[in-house]
Amino acid sequence: MKIRDKLFFAFGFYILLAVLGGFLAYTELSTITKKLKLVETADDMTNHFLEARRFEKNYLLFRDQDSFQEFKVYMGRLQGDIDKIRAEIIKESGKENYEKLNNTIAEYDRLVDSIPENFESQRKHISSLIDLGREIEMTLRGKELEIFLVLRRYEKNLIMYKDRTAYETFTKTFASMDKGIAKELKNYGGLVERLFQLFVNEHATIEALRLKAREIESFTVSLSRRERENIDRILTISVRVLLAALFAIILLGTIVNIRLASSIATPIRKLERVTKKVATGDFSELIEVKGKDEITSLEISFNQMEDRLKDSLSSLELAVKNLHEKQEELVEAEKLASLGRIAAGVAHEINNPLAIINEKAGLLQDILLMSGDLEQKEKFLNLIEGIVTSVNRCRAITHRLLGFVRRMEVTFEAMDINETVREVREFLGTDISLKSIRFEMNLKEGLPQVRSDKVQVEQILLNIIKNAIDAVEEGGLVQVETAMKEGNTVQILIRDNGPGIPKDQLKRIFEPFFTTKERGKGTGLGLFVSYGIMKKLGGAILVESEIGKGTSFVVEIPVQPRV
Amino acid sequence: MRKAKILVVDDEVEFASALAERLQLRGYDTKAVFRGEDTLAIAKSAPPDIILLDLKMPGMNGIEVLMTIRQFAPDIEVILLTGHIDLRERIEGMRIDDFNYIMKPVDMAELLEKIEKAIEKHR
Repeated sequence: MKIRDKLFFAFGFYILLAVLGGFLAYTELSTITKKLKLVETADDMTNHFLEARRFEKNYLLFRDQDSFQEFKVYMGRLQGDIDKIRAEIIKESGKENYEKLNNTIAEYDRLVDSIPENFESQRKHISSLIDLGREIEMTLRGKELEIFLVLRRYEKNLIMYKDRTAYETFTKTFASMDKGIAKELKNYGGLVERLFQLFVNEHATIEALRLKAREIESFTVSLSRRERENIDRILTISVRVLLAALFAIILLGTIVNIRLASSIATPIRKLERVTKKVATGDFSELIEVKGKDEITSLEISFNQMEDRLKDSLSSLELAVKNLHEKQEELVEAEKLASLGRIAAGVAHEINNPLAIINEKAGLLQDILLMSGDLEQKEKFLNLIEGIVTSVNRCRAITHRLLGFVRRMEVTFEAMDINETVREVREFLGTDISLKSIRFEMNLKEGLPQVRSDKVQVEQILLNIIKNAIDAVEEGGLVQVETAMKEGNTVQILIRDNGPGIPKDQLKRIFEPFFTTKERGKGTGLGLFVSYGIMKKLGGAILVESEIGKGTSFVVEIPVQPRV
Repeated sequence: MRKAKILVVDDEVEFASALAERLQLRGYDTKAVFRGEDTLAIAKSAPPDIILLDLKMPGMNGIEVLMTIRQFAPDIEVILLTGHIDLRERIEGMRIDDFNYIMKPVDMAELLEKIEKAIEKHR
C-alpha cells in the first residue's frame, strides 16, 4: 500500500477514535446530566414532602390557616415534582407503583383535607359544650351541681387529653347521674359523645395520614437513593469504559504509529546503509525490493544507479589505467627521444676533435714506422697504439650513438623471423661453442612474413642473444623460441639460465650507457638503441628476470607495422 | 703510373693537414684546402682525381661545393667526409647513402679501399 494511503488511513483512524471517544463521552455525560436532574427532582420531592409534613404537623398542632396553606403549597410542589419526572418514575418503579404513589398521595391529601372540618366541628362542639355547660351549671344547686362540676371536670379532661380513659371516666359518671335534673343534660351528654367521636376520628385520621405519609416518604427517599445509585453506576461504568477506550487508543495508536513509522523508516534505513557502502566503494549489496509503494520505485532506481555506478567506476578505473600506461609509454618515448638527441649532439661535437686525434696519432704512427731505429721506438709505437685504441673506442661509441639517430629512419620489407633467428645463430656460432653453451631453438612453423626492417631486427636479436651468451656460465642454457601472439604480433623469446638481474638494475636496463659489464666491455648502448628501434618499428622489448633462475627477453614485432 | 691526386677539403685545419700528410706518406699526391671556395679554384687550375669533401663547413658548405663540382667537373670522384649521417637529408633528391661517403673519425684502411675503388672507376 502506498505510504500516502497508509498515512491517510492512520489519520482517519485517529479521527475516528477521537470521534468515537467524544461521542461516547457525550452520551455518558448526557445520561449523567439527565440522571442528575432526576436525582435533584427526587430530592425535591423528599424535601417538599417533608416541608408539607412539617406544616401538616404545625397545623395539627396550632390549627392555624397559614400552616394549612403552606401545607397545600408544598403538596402542590410535590405534585409538580412528580409530574416532572412521571415517565422516569414509571420506568424506575413500574406503572403500578406510580399509580399507588399517586393514590397514596391523594389519600393523604384527602385525609389532611378532612381535618379542618373535624377541627371546626370540634370547635363548634366545644363552644356549645361551654355554653351548655354553663347553662346547666346555672340551673343546678347543691349536690347535683357538685356532681355536674365533677362531670364538667371530666369533660375538660377529655377535651384536654382526648383519650378513651378520660371519656370512659366521664361516661361512667354521666351514666350514674339522673338525667332529669336538667333539661339540657341529655344534649350535653350527646355533645360530649359526639365530641369524643370527633376526637376518635381525628386520631384515626391522623394515624391514617401518618401511615400514608410514611409510605410517601419511603417512596421518595428510595427514589432518591435509587437514582443516586444509578448515577454512581453510570459514572463507574463510564469511567471504566473511558479508561478502556483510552488504553485501547494508546495501544492501537502506538501500534499504528510504529507500523507506519517503520514502514517508512525501515526502507530508508536500508537505503542509508547501502548508500554508505556504495560511498566507500563497496558495490556488493543491492536493495531487496519488497512491496509496492513510493519507496519501491526509489529502491529500484537506486539499484539501477548502483549498477551503473559500479560499471562506470570499473570502466573509469580501466580507462585511467590505460591512460597511465599510455602516459608512461609516451614519457618513455619522449625520454628516449631527448636522450637520443642529446647523445647525438654530444657525439657529433666530439667527432671533430676525435677525428683530429685520430689523424695525428695515425700520422705519428706512420712516421715512426717509416723511420729507422730510434731510441724508445717500441715504446712510442705502443703508446700510440694505446691512443689509437682509445680513439677507436670513442669512435665506436659516437658512431653507435649517431647510429641511433641515423636509424630513426627505418625501411620496411618483408622478412622471415625464423630465418633471421637462424642467421643470427650462425653468426654467433663461435661464441656458443667456445663456452659449450646449450643453445636450443624452438621456432614455430608457419609464422607469417613480417613487414619490418630486417637489418635492424637482426641487429637487435644479435644484441640480445649475445647478452644471453655472455651472461651464462660454461655449459649454460640459452633458449630461443618464436610464436604468434593474438594473430598480429610475432614474439621472439630469448631465455637464459644465467644469474639473473636484480630488480633495481632491471628497471634501468634500457637506459643509455647502463651496462653491467666490466669497464671497457660494451658501451651500454645496445639495449638502449634496440629499445628505441623496436618502438620505431611498432613493436616492443620486454624483460623479466629472477635472481638465481635467469633472464627472459621478449621481442614483439607487429606483422604489419602500425601506422 | 701517375700518382692519383687527392684534394682534402675540411674546415678543421688540424684534421685536414694530418690526413693529407698521411695520404701523402702512402703515395698519393695530396693537397688540403680549408674553405669550400678554394676548392673550385683548385678544381679548375689543378683538378684532382678525388676530392675528400667535408659536408659541414662555414661559408660555402660541402653540399654547394659538391653541386658545383658535379656541374663543372663531373669526372672528379667525390668522397664525402661526414660526422653523422642524416638519412632525411636529400641532395638533389638523393639520400646521403646514395653517395660515396666515409664517417669521421676516419678508418684509414676503409678510406684507402674507397680511394682505390674510386681510382678504378675513374680509369
